[in-house]
Amino acid sequence: MGKEVLVVDKLNMHYETLDGPVAAVKDVSFVLNEGESFGLVGESGCGKTSVAMSLLQLQADNAKISSGSIKLEGKELVGMTENELRTVRWDGISIVFQGAMNAWNPVAKIGEQIREAIREHRPDNTKQENTQKIEELFNIVGLDNSIMDRYPHELSGGMKQRAIIALALSCDPKVVIADEPTTALDVVIQDQILKELKKVQNLLGLSLIYISHDIAVIAEMTDNMAVMYAGSVVEMGPTANIFNKPKHAYTRLLLESTPSVVGKRKKLRSLDGEPPSLINENKGCSFSPRCPEPSKECKNQELDMKLVEISKGHWADLCCVSCG
Amino acid sequence: MSNNLKEQEELQKQLRKDALRKNWKLFSQSKLGMIGLYIVAFFLFLALLQPFLFITGIWNPAIYDPVVGYDQIKAELLVIECPKEYPTEKYESYSDCPGPGEVNIKKLYMAPDLKVGEYYDTFIQPAPPSKTHLLGTDSLGRDVFSQIMEGSQVAFVLGLLSATLGVGISTILGTIAAFFGGRVDAYLMRQSDLILMLPSLPLLFIISAFAELKVWHLAVVLGVLGGLGGSVITIKSQALQVKVKPYVDSARITGGSKWQILFQHILPNVAPLALLFMVFSVTGAIASESVLSFLGLLNIDMSWGIMIYLSQTDGFIFSGLDFWWLILPAGLAVTFLAGGFYLVGRGLDEVFNPRLRKR
Amino acid sequence: MAEYIIRRTLQMIVVFFIFLVSSYLLFNAIPGNAFQNLLLNPDLPPDAYEKVLKTYGLDKPIMERVQLYVVNFFKGDFGYSYKYYPKTPIELIAERLPRTLMLFAIVNIVAFYTGFLVGKVLAWRRGSKSETWITVTSVFSYTVFYPWFALMMLWFFGYKMGWFPIGKFLYPEKWYDAPWDSDVIFVLMIKFTVIISVIQFMAYLLTRGIESLTQRRNIRFGSLIAIFIGSYLFWNTGDALTKKPYAADIAYHMILPVVVVTIVAFAGTALLTRTTMVEVIKEDYILTARAKGLSQKRIRDRHAARTALLPVVTSFIFTIVTIIDGSVLTETIFSWPGMGQLLLQSVLEEDIPVAMATFSFVGIFALIAHLVADISYSYLDPRIRIKSQG
Repeated sequence: MGKEVLVVDKLNMHYETLDGPVAAVKDVSFVLNEGESFGLVGESGCGKTSVAMSLLQLQADNAKISSGSIKLEGKELVGMTENELRTVRWDGISIVFQGAMNAWNPVAKIGEQIREAIREHRPDNTKQENTQKIEELFNIVGLDNSIMDRYPHELSGGMKQRAIIALALSCDPKVVIADEPTTALDVVIQDQILKELKKVQNLLGLSLIYISHDIAVIAEMTDNMAVMYAGSVVEMGPTANIFNKPKHAYTRLLLESTPSVVGKRKKLRSLDGEPPSLINENKGCSFSPRCPEPSKECKNQELDMKLVEISKGHWADLCCVSCG
Repeated sequence: MSNNLKEQEELQKQLRKDALRKNWKLFSQSKLGMIGLYIVAFFLFLALLQPFLFITGIWNPAIYDPVVGYDQIKAELLVIECPKEYPTEKYESYSDCPGPGEVNIKKLYMAPDLKVGEYYDTFIQPAPPSKTHLLGTDSLGRDVFSQIMEGSQVAFVLGLLSATLGVGISTILGTIAAFFGGRVDAYLMRQSDLILMLPSLPLLFIISAFAELKVWHLAVVLGVLGGLGGSVITIKSQALQVKVKPYVDSARITGGSKWQILFQHILPNVAPLALLFMVFSVTGAIASESVLSFLGLLNIDMSWGIMIYLSQTDGFIFSGLDFWWLILPAGLAVTFLAGGFYLVGRGLDEVFNPRLRKR
Repeated sequence: MAEYIIRRTLQMIVVFFIFLVSSYLLFNAIPGNAFQNLLLNPDLPPDAYEKVLKTYGLDKPIMERVQLYVVNFFKGDFGYSYKYYPKTPIELIAERLPRTLMLFAIVNIVAFYTGFLVGKVLAWRRGSKSETWITVTSVFSYTVFYPWFALMMLWFFGYKMGWFPIGKFLYPEKWYDAPWDSDVIFVLMIKFTVIISVIQFMAYLLTRGIESLTQRRNIRFGSLIAIFIGSYLFWNTGDALTKKPYAADIAYHMILPVVVVTIVAFAGTALLTRTTMVEVIKEDYILTARAKGLSQKRIRDRHAARTALLPVVTSFIFTIVTIIDGSVLTETIFSWPGMGQLLLQSVLEEDIPVAMATFSFVGIFALIAHLVADISYSYLDPRIRIKSQG
């Protein structure tokens, strides 16, 4: 285990909307060690991406970090000015965006867009050095050098995604966030990209935060993981532990809803109901309405949500620990 | 079954109401849009106030009619003799004599008996604002405030009529061009090229040479020209985006006829943009009318443009702000009403275009 | 691409033909005797009326006349002006066009540049107080009743303050013993402006490849200074030195109209830029740019504004199309003897050959500009590939 690179402590973030504040991230804490990969999993709208955006403080204008701290190598990021943040972005933390997103500016060449990032953080580099760096990156992610002079629309989805990985690595960041990097790709390409990411991570010793709704991918990619539900972390710990002994009812349901190719045939379970609206500050366990077998206290919303340590490094929500 | 249908209708009504309320909420969030709405409402109030004042008899048409009304404003002027050399104690240069409330004896050819120091009764036209005439009278003794009201009636009738007509035409043609494509599209596009090629002002002069243009004639001409011109291209590009939406495909697969798809699926989805266009083209129509009136090419009795035209031909515009009530109200009215409609359009844009929303 | 251009050109010819015929019919439908001007012209030789009547078949039925006109048109024969008899419409246009182009080229370039800058800032500062105020001002200057506003400005700066001349494009007294025609000076001024813009543009293009941003900025700034020095030297040597006072006279007369029209014209661009930029800012690649840690200014100028430029360029080209049309009002108010006045007068006085020639000139101008707009769009936006469809 390396030293702690990124420490997130009791992070709270909400969106101010017409219908009132929406709490998207509630008391989220986790630690990312050097060279380790950390997974965030949960269904759509559970706040995974909000966490990622808060780390870089790229959230929309109506989003506010109300409390908590984000420390990158001991440096506090919450409350930094925009100019201080700019030096942290990409140089400290970079993001691999979704391929489906228009992460590339359609009217500029790929090479130019990568070059721009390097130029911002390494202003003394010569043109040759920058070109060399991009060629190196393209080599790592398995792209041809000619891609540099192409426009984004001339690339296939997989190529774009590889180029985005190259872009994320361009300034040798300490932490890379991969925000659903394979969601929009077909299964074959998904697998290629995942392997590529894994390879790059091992090669460069990256600290990676992997965000996905696909718990199978998380299992493959990460050392530690956290399960998020309605803005809060409900279970957190080493990935192997969570897969073997899921403690929280939601984690169990997530696992049971994913098919497995190997092992015994089992019936897939589906999760009924919708995630709760985040607008109203609900007391107690936010999962209890969908919980298949909630305890009495849980149902009556008497227990506050709080993580408790079950075994070493394995945390789960108090409510479900006591009921399940 | 019928009960079910009724319920569905109720539900749809409710949904529509909700959507309307939500849109209103969004619109009222836009500060500038609300300012625009207030401006438009203010001028609408002025337009409606005038007939009300005439009907209830508060205003006597003989005095306050914007076209044929006449009011004598009597004033007593002190007769003086202007000095031969300047500057004197009272006047700095020759342009300061006679001062306010005074008249030069040399100018009184009509009343030779008057002497310096006596008072001379005269009718002043244009008269400055007073209690009876809030914005004074023009050089023919007509009430300016009443003219402004009449002008805003003209502006509303013309603006709304021509905008509705124009946007109606361009929406239908634009959707048809997008939906049928091919030759129909090519024809319609070249047609709007043709309209765009014609220089608009000279063209309107030629048209005004054919016949005496009344307000509603002009509204039709402006509407048709606007409707066949550039807005077809814009509406078409919007309709093209709607055409490839999945719900249009599903309507086609479930066996909707061409016209049904056109009218039930594509048109309603182009409508918000069309409404937006309409609001913006009101601005254009008001400006066009004012320009034509300003150049003296329209045969309408009264409008803001004509008011400016008259103040210009009578030479008041170069008198500076001494006759401000002849120059400022009409010009500002055109500017503000056009601006008001523009701001309303911008507010609507924020409602209909989700990408423009702040949250 | 070539196929597309050929196809469009063919369509353009058809459209132009229809345009020509319909405007001829339109002019002929105007009630009253259109040839009065010809008869009233004192310079008219006795046989000229008959001659003109014969050559253009003015006594023939309308359909034959149209035929004759179109045939003559494509032969390059536009007839003679009824009002300025011995002059042909082409001569008149050649005389008037530089004046209009000079005035409005400057106005449009300044207006679009400032409009784009203001729009950019507006979109970027969305929701702030300064945005509201700038927007209100822009909307005001966009919707202000233009002739009224122009007259007020004329009154204030020309009459009350006496800073600028009221109307006309030169002081006639200054030009009594001038060795050149005003057109010569105009052409020189246009050439000068074009060359300066080309040099500045080249400097911009050449510096694009430089990696260091500060170095790039310095070189661009240097080129600007070099242009200033160069133009100072140009106007103080040789031939240009003798022409300088006359050019200065014209330039002095241009200031007020340029400023007034710019105030009115810039707002449209500013508001358009703002609208498109506000949409672009919501795009994902702006988020990427922010995540990359780029400066606000760079994100705004290189990413958001670059994409928002597309509709602005189209609107710029469409404005160029309407330069002559739009000059009608301005030239009337400022008594600037350019194309707009020619167009208006020829229509009002039913000087049909001149009116037809100016109409067709405007038409050709418009058609070509539309084509240029479509083609330039495909270069500005690499996503757009022109399909062979019209």
